[in-house]
Amino acid sequence: MTSYRKDNRVALENDAPRLDIVEKVNGSAKYTTDYYMPKMLWAAYIISDYGDSRLKNSDLAAARAVKGVLEVQIDKQAGRYHGDRLGHVCAESRQALQQALTALNLRFEARWPKTRLEDERTPLEKLTPAENDADAQKVLDESDVIAEAEFQTQVQTHSSLEPHGCVVDFRGDSAVVYGSTQSNIGFRDGIARELGLRPDQVEFHCEYVGGGFGSKFGHDSEGHLAAQMSKKFKRPCRVIRTRKEEHLDTGNRPGSIQHMRIGLARDGKIRGGKIATWGSIGATERSGGGGVRNPSRYNFGAVAKIHEDVNLNGGNSRAMRAPGHPQAMFAIELMMDHLAEQIGMDPLDFRILNETSDIRREMLKVGAEMIGWSRRKPGGASPGPIKRGLGIGVADWGNGQGNATIAVNVYRNGTVEVLSGAQDIGMGYRTLIGDIVRTHLGLPRELLIVKVGRGDYPPGPASGGSTTSRATAPKAFAAADKAKKAIRKLVASEWKLGDAASIALEGGVFKAGDKTMDWNKACRLITDDHLALSANEDGDYWKTPTGSEAVQFADVSVDTETGIIRVNKVVALQNVGLPVNRNTVENQITGAVIQGLSFCLFEDRILNRQTGAMVNPNLDMYKIAGPLDVPEIVPVIWREERDVGVNSLGEPPVVPTPGAIATAVANAIGAQVRSMPLTPDKVLAAVADAKPAASQPSTAGQ
Amino acid sequence: MHQENGSKTGGVSRRQFLQGAGGAAAGSVLINLPHIGQAQEADAAATANGLKRYAADGAKVTLEVNGRPAQLTLTPDTTLLQALRESLNLTGAKEVCDRGACGACTVLVDGRSVNSCMMLAVDAAGHKITTVEGLASDGQLNPVQQAFVDHDACQCGYCIPGFVVRSRALLDETPGADLNAIKHGLCGNICRCAAYVRIFAAVEAAAKGGPA
Repeated sequence: MTSYRKDNRVALENDAPRLDIVEKVNGSAKYTTDYYMPKMLWAAYIISDYGDSRLKNSDLAAARAVKGVLEVQIDKQAGRYHGDRLGHVCAESRQALQQALTALNLRFEARWPKTRLEDERTPLEKLTPAENDADAQKVLDESDVIAEAEFQTQVQTHSSLEPHGCVVDFRGDSAVVYGSTQSNIGFRDGIARELGLRPDQVEFHCEYVGGGFGSKFGHDSEGHLAAQMSKKFKRPCRVIRTRKEEHLDTGNRPGSIQHMRIGLARDGKIRGGKIATWGSIGATERSGGGGVRNPSRYNFGAVAKIHEDVNLNGGNSRAMRAPGHPQAMFAIELMMDHLAEQIGMDPLDFRILNETSDIRREMLKVGAEMIGWSRRKPGGASPGPIKRGLGIGVADWGNGQGNATIAVNVYRNGTVEVLSGAQDIGMGYRTLIGDIVRTHLGLPRELLIVKVGRGDYPPGPASGGSTTSRATAPKAFAAADKAKKAIRKLVASEWKLGDAASIALEGGVFKAGDKTMDWNKACRLITDDHLALSANEDGDYWKTPTGSEAVQFADVSVDTETGIIRVNKVVALQNVGLPVNRNTVENQITGAVIQGLSFCLFEDRILNRQTGAMVNPNLDMYKIAGPLDVPEIVPVIWREERDVGVNSLGEPPVVPTPGAIATAVANAIGAQVRSMPLTPDKVLAAVADAKPAASQPSTAGQ
Repeated sequence: MHQENGSKTGGVSRRQFLQGAGGAAAGSVLINLPHIGQAQEADAAATANGLKRYAADGAKVTLEVNGRPAQLTLTPDTTLLQALRESLNLTGAKEVCDRGACGACTVLVDGRSVNSCMMLAVDAAGHKITTVEGLASDGQLNPVQQAFVDHDACQCGYCIPGFVVRSRALLDETPGADLNAIKHGLCGNICRCAAYVRIFAAVEAAAKGGPA
């Protein structure tokens, strides 16, 4: 199993495992859920059972009579979605909390809910046209070929394995808080507001986060309840959302419908056209963010784009790893294939022709060779009932500068401590800044200590929009540089050299002429307890960014008798700018591919159309890709020859996968399945539809 | 090696318990049982029909965890996972789905991997329980743990204790397991970050490294 790394080169030549892996494999890494405090209270929300509900019965007296229950309160009599928070219970133990929730004996009247985007959207012909609609119409009129298609994507839940949670210990003029978050500072400040404290009075911990994927920024409802109960009863309080609530009420990737009408010139150049998208958002006016990033990546020419956010009686939509992108690229890649077919052009050639990025054009050529594009057969042409197909997906990501401070403390025993208040949400943040500092100083890992994830550490960014690495990496280089110069100055003084800059630091050894002094000995020249240095500016370490370009090729097999899709192989080329640690980079690429595969083939929030209740709110019925679904994945770290910085990686590699798999499936069976997830029933319907003699209705736009 | 919990020990399995008490209301039904008074040693409370009776507000239960006995007072609806986490502060095993669908709570019971969210703590009495915290010995990581380290087999890490413990059991069941056997053997565990490529590589390496 070492083949997965053979194509990759890493700038810092760094193959070490992530810095916190021992704590993660021996169970000592403490996440928010792992804190149980003396005299701790347990609180939870009372939630609506249905999509559009009215509370008919609640036995508050029975719930309050349960021994150990401190508070039962119902604030709302109506729920707008399954999981809507109507009130709360606070108790002295988990058992009492559960017993009170049961004793409430809630009875609801369910009203007919809005559950289906296709039913609730404003029809295309009734939408207000885009301002440039006439221009797009003119382009379509002048096009040689016009193709039209509609695509649909489902609602996906984040399903972070660590639930949203918070433990608050309010102590009057201070508080100790544990919160599972992608934004330590945002979470801490939210809790401080709840408690009427200044941020510096809140000791905030988030050393480990069990996944967030865009759903964990503010202190949210769990932080609100934990803070209020702790403040009221002057005891620590724990609020951990249940797995069911995670599916219902902690956000989701909105579903979409995407209608595309695109015109082509006969030479294959896309001229432009009209794109309408609809996004399914939550039930309330406050919900939003159903946007779909269609068009994007390819040069679509003059496009008139309209979008409608559509309220459904479901949980609120929320940012999820590349919000609006994977669903858009699913539709766009299928549309690219559809367009190419209209003029009989190879889909790879068609993409290269309409590509906006020179880097990606090159990646398309390399990836095609790696997957064996030349063996690709026409749609449905492979023999036998199990059909093979190849497909393509692309993406990129923006890379701007961001605020952060990295502190480096150098101790007299040679230990280098790196501090940052940003959080490691699983991408390997500790490892990133630690490896930058130690390789810059030429030191072994044994001398390195990296501490992240506390509110009182130097400020770091929220981990959203793939910003963490690019915001912090330049400061890590700059802080290491300051440490080097500070120690070098001490060495120069010891050696009575006027020009400290003449001393080189190579492989952890200071050198000038025939004089040498190793790092540990040099650090003993520190007269104070330690040297404290920090950097909050990029300086020369901000390099021209890449576009975090991504290109993926998928190889699938489709059983046309059962409709089951197996992904055999994915080649994932990824530009990350400067790759710091090979393990964390490759791990994140392959993980993103599997998450994209899971979205494309399996995941689906299913609402009961009569009651609005989610019928599959746990991991046994909400299907997520598991070990048996994992294909061979070849991550390729694309390395540019120019001097580039550390760039975005969290989101871009999850974007191309659904499109790559969907186009591969279409190539296998000779028909497009235009509705995610690509379940066997839809595959079989598409197969039947593709047979010339068949008369089944199209699955398009289902 | 493994004893089917409930049948051989005479304890009430979670399944029987839930059947008797009825789904989500299980806790409250039990607490409404006749009050027995002071918590008493569970073994002393056997009744004639072969079922054990436990005090609803807490019975003394002795669990042998990581080679050490621990005497706990637990309500009978407490799962093994809850007892480990809440009473013994062994928080490596995680509660993720609370219904045996994800493997994050995996521990060893008499050497066999078990979803500890699906087993009542009282049923674990008399059995040897090993959690992820107990896999290392003499300060040395278990070879499976070391293989996870060497292959960077994690991302956020929340599922990893479950994967590590299940992988240990898998390699004890199937020494020298190949990639296919590893995938099948781990299919009760979910990693949302999807660090699977690295997890498979780690377990393959541990399998080639021979017995622990």
